Amino acid sequence: MIAFLYPWALAGLAAAAIPLLLHFRAQREPPTVVFPAVRYLRDATRQHQRRLLLRQWLLLLLRTLLVVALVLAAAGPTVPLGSAGPHAPTAVVLVLDNSLSSGVTVGGTPRLAALRRAAREVLARAGAGDRLWLLTADGIPRRGDAASLRRLVDSLAPSAARMDLGAAIDVAGRIVGGAGLPGGVVVLSDLQGSALGAAATRQPVLVGAPAGAPPPNLGIASVSPGAGPWSPGGGTVTVTVAGDHDSTPVPVTLTLGAGPSRQALVGLGRPAVVTLPGGRAGWTALTARLDPDELRGDDARTIAVRVAPPARVAWSASDRYVAAALATLVADGRAVAGDGLRVGSLGAGASVVFPPEDPALVGALDRALAARGVAWRYGALVDDTAAIDSSAWLRPARVWRRYRLVPTGSGRTGVLITVGGEPWLVRSGPVLLLGSRLEPGWTELPLVAGFVPFIDALVGRIAPGEESAIDAAVGTPVLLPGSVDRVRWAGGSATVEGGAAFTPPQPGLYWLLAGGDTVGALAANADPRESDLSPAAAGAVRALWPTARVVKLEDVPAAAFGLARRTDLRGPLLWAALLLAVSELLVAGAGAPRKGSIE
Amino acid sequence: MTGTSVAARPARYDLLDPLEASRLGGLELFAEGVVEGFLAGLHRSPRRGFSVEFAEHRAYQPGDEPRYLDWRLLARTERPYVKQFEEETNLRAVLVADVSRSMAWSGAPERTLTKLDYARRIAAALGLVLLRQRDATGCIAFDDEVRAVLPPRARSAQWHRLCATLAALAPGAGTAAEPALRRVTDLLRRRGLVVFISDLLLDEALALRALRFLRHRGHQVLVVHVMDPAEAELSGPAEARFEDPETHAAVVLRPRDWAPAYRAAVADAVARWRQDCGRHGIQYHRVTTDTPFGVALREVLVRPGLA
Repeated sequence: MIAFLYPWALAGLAAAAIPLLLHFRAQREPPTVVFPAVRYLRDATRQHQRRLLLRQWLLLLLRTLLVVALVLAAAGPTVPLGSAGPHAPTAVVLVLDNSLSSGVTVGGTPRLAALRRAAREVLARAGAGDRLWLLTADGIPRRGDAASLRRLVDSLAPSAARMDLGAAIDVAGRIVGGAGLPGGVVVLSDLQGSALGAAATRQPVLVGAPAGAPPPNLGIASVSPGAGPWSPGGGTVTVTVAGDHDSTPVPVTLTLGAGPSRQALVGLGRPAVVTLPGGRAGWTALTARLDPDELRGDDARTIAVRVAPPARVAWSASDRYVAAALATLVADGRAVAGDGLRVGSLGAGASVVFPPEDPALVGALDRALAARGVAWRYGALVDDTAAIDSSAWLRPARVWRRYRLVPTGSGRTGVLITVGGEPWLVRSGPVLLLGSRLEPGWTELPLVAGFVPFIDALVGRIAPGEESAIDAAVGTPVLLPGSVDRVRWAGGSATVEGGAAFTPPQPGLYWLLAGGDTVGALAANADPRESDLSPAAAGAVRALWPTARVVKLEDVPAAAFGLARRTDLRGPLLWAALLLAVSELLVAGAGAPRKGSIE
Repeated sequence: MTGTSVAARPARYDLLDPLEASRLGGLELFAEGVVEGFLAGLHRSPRRGFSVEFAEHRAYQPGDEPRYLDWRLLARTERPYVKQFEEETNLRAVLVADVSRSMAWSGAPERTLTKLDYARRIAAALGLVLLRQRDATGCIAFDDEVRAVLPPRARSAQWHRLCATLAALAPGAGTAAEPALRRVTDLLRRRGLVVFISDLLLDEALALRALRFLRHRGHQVLVVHVMDPAEAELSGPAEARFEDPETHAAVVLRPRDWAPAYRAAVADAVARWRQDCGRHGIQYHRVTTDTPFGVALREVLVRPGLA
C-alpha cells in the first residue's frame, strides 16, 4: 500500500484544478477585433480546428498531470517492496489481539488459534538480528527472542480485557521508532469494529485480517441490583444484553449465591427486571448467565449484592422531608423505626448530623461533636449556589446553603460527598456530618427523584460504613474508596492504598476490606463492547490507521519482515514531472499548425 | 506653382515611408512628388515608343533618350526638345479602385495608411505616370456597386479630375468587383490597360471571371493586391473575436496559436491569385501598405514594361 511521508502536502492536489480553471476561464467572451481578412482565418481554422482542439486537451491533460506529479512528489510517497529472500535486521512489534472476542469459534476453530498460528509463523521467519516484541490485550509490550515469544504466544488464552487496537498500535509504533532499526508493527486481530481506534503512528503497519465472518453473538451487558442493600426478603435486579444482532428475547438465568435460580427473557435493548429472594446478611455473588453460544466469555456476568437487615433508625418529625422519606422506607421494609441510627441530630450512637436551623446553635453542636471525638466541625455558613459533585451515591443536585465542614485534626479523611470540591458529607467514626439541612431552603435534593434512594443508601450503606459496589471492566483501572486498605479475590489478595487505582486482572469479585471488615465489592467483568463481533468496515482500517496495509492472515508471515522495505517514489515522480514538462513544451511548440511564407 | 513646390521638395519622396509621404500635401501634390522621384530614379524616360507618326515636340526631360532629341530645333532655338509620336497616346487606361469597407482599415493607424488611402495614392501616382505619357486615363471606383466613373481622357485637365474623383471616394459597404470590371468594357472600346487595385477580399471566382473576360477582350490587365502588414501576420490579444467589417462574420481564436496557420492560409491565397492570374496573362502584384510608393510603382510599372 502506498504511504506518504508528508500527507499534508496532498492538499496541494487541489492545484490540479488550476489548468482546468484557466481553460474554462479562457472560454469567456473575448474582446472583439475588427479584422477584414476573416476569410483567411476561417480557411486556417477549417484546416486545423480538430488538430488544435486535440492539442488543447492534450496540453490540459499534460499540465494537470504535471501538477499532480509534483504534488505527489512533495508528499513523499513510498510503496512496499517485495518480501522474498533474506531480510535486513528489522524491528517488529507483534500486536496479538487476544481480547475476549478472539475466543469466538469460527468454523469449529477458535479465532485466537488462527491468530496464534500466524504469530508463530512470523516468529519462525525472524532472524538473529531482528528485534521482536509481543503486545497483547494486557497492554504490556514484552521483548524477547523468537523462541521466548513463541512460548508466550503458545500460552495465550482469550483475555476478558478489551484491546483498543489504535492505542496498541501507537504504543507499538513508539517502540519501533525507538528501536534504532527499520521495521514496523504487525497486527494480528479479528478486527472487531468496536476495537478500532485511531492511531497516529507513522511507522508501517501490517494488518492480518482473518477469513470468515464471525457468528452472531449476544452477551450479558450489565446486571444492576440497585443502589441500596437488599433486605433478607430479596431485591430486584435489572439485566441487559449486548451483541451484534437483534434476536428474539433470550433466556437469562439469575442466581443469588446458593439460592434458587430465576429465569427471565431479555432482548437486545430490552432490559428485564427480575425479583430474587434474599439470603443471609452479607455480601453475596449474583450471577446472570446466558445459554452458551460461539463466544463463551460474555455468556455470564457476576456482581456482588449486599444483603442486610433493615436499618433501625430514629428521626425527628420536625425534619419533614427526611421523615417522609424514612416513613416510605419503613413502609417498604427497608428500615425499621428504633434505636439504632439517629438521623438529624447527634445521638449517643451512630448518628447522621444535620446543621441546626438556628446559627446560634452551631457553636454548641461543635462542642458536642468535639466531646464525642468527632474530627470535623461546622465552619462558616455559605449562601451560594453550588452543585453536589457526582458520586456513587448521589447524582448532581444544587445546594444553595451550607456550612463549611472543617477538619479539626491534621488530616482531611472521611470525605464522602463534596459540593464544589468542598466536603459536604463526611464521616468520623460512627458519626456522619452533613453540610446542609435536607430541606428545600438549603438544597433541591428533597425535591428530586433520587432523594429517597439517597436516604436509603445513607441509612443502609453509608452510615454502617459500607462502600458502594463497583462494577468494572477487566484490565481497566478503577479508583478504590478511600477507606479500603486491602483487596481480596479468589486466589489472591493485595494491600492497597485507599483512593489509589486498582486494575482487576481477571473477571470475578474483588472484596474491598477496611481494617479486616468487608466494606464493598468490585465486580470485574468483560467489557460489553466485546460482545459485538461485527467486523470493522472495509475503509475504517485505512481511515484510522493511515500507514496500514491489510492483507490476509495467511499472508502476514511472508510480508512481516518486508515492512521496512519500502521504496521512495519521489525520484520517479520527479522524472515523470520532467518528462511531462518536456512533453508539454513539445506539444505547445511543435503542435502548432504548419508555417507558411507569403511571396 | 506646382513645379516650384515640387522642386523645393527632396528629390526621392517616392522612397519615403508611405504614411510620411502622405503628409506632404493633397493627393495631387503627393502624386507629383512621388512620381517625380520615381521617374528620376528610373534613369530612363518613362515615355515609350518614339516611332510611327510624329505628333508634337515637348521639352527634354532628364532620362529621355538622346537619340530622340530634335537636333535641328536644338540648333535653332538652343533648347532641347524631343519628338513625340502619335502612337504613344493610343493607350487607354482605366484604374479600377476598390473602396469597400474592408479597404478602410489599418492594423496600426499610427504607423500605416489604410488600404483605401494607400490605394488612392497609388492610383493617383499611376494616373499621373500614364497621363504624362499622354495615355488616356480614367477610373472606376466600386464597393458593392459602382460608385464613381471617370472616362479615360488624355487631356491635361484629366489629371485634376482624376485626383478629385479619387479624393472624394468614401469607404462603402460590401465588395462586388464584377459590375465594375464589366463596366470597364464600356470605357475601353479598343485594347487598353486595366489596373485593378483591391485588397481582393471579395468573391474570387466572380472577380477572376471578370478579369479573364477583360483579358479575353485583349486588354492588358494588372492586379494590384493591397494588403495591410497586419493582415499578413496575425497578432492581437491572448484571445480575440475577429469580426469582418463587411459581412460581420466572426471567428474566436488565440492569435498565438493560429498565427502559423493563418500565415499559411494567406500564403495559399496569394499563391492562388498569382497562379490564376498568371495562367490567364494577368499581371499580379502584392503590395503592403508599408511599402514605399516608389518601390510599389517600380513593382507595378517597370516589370510589366508600362513605363
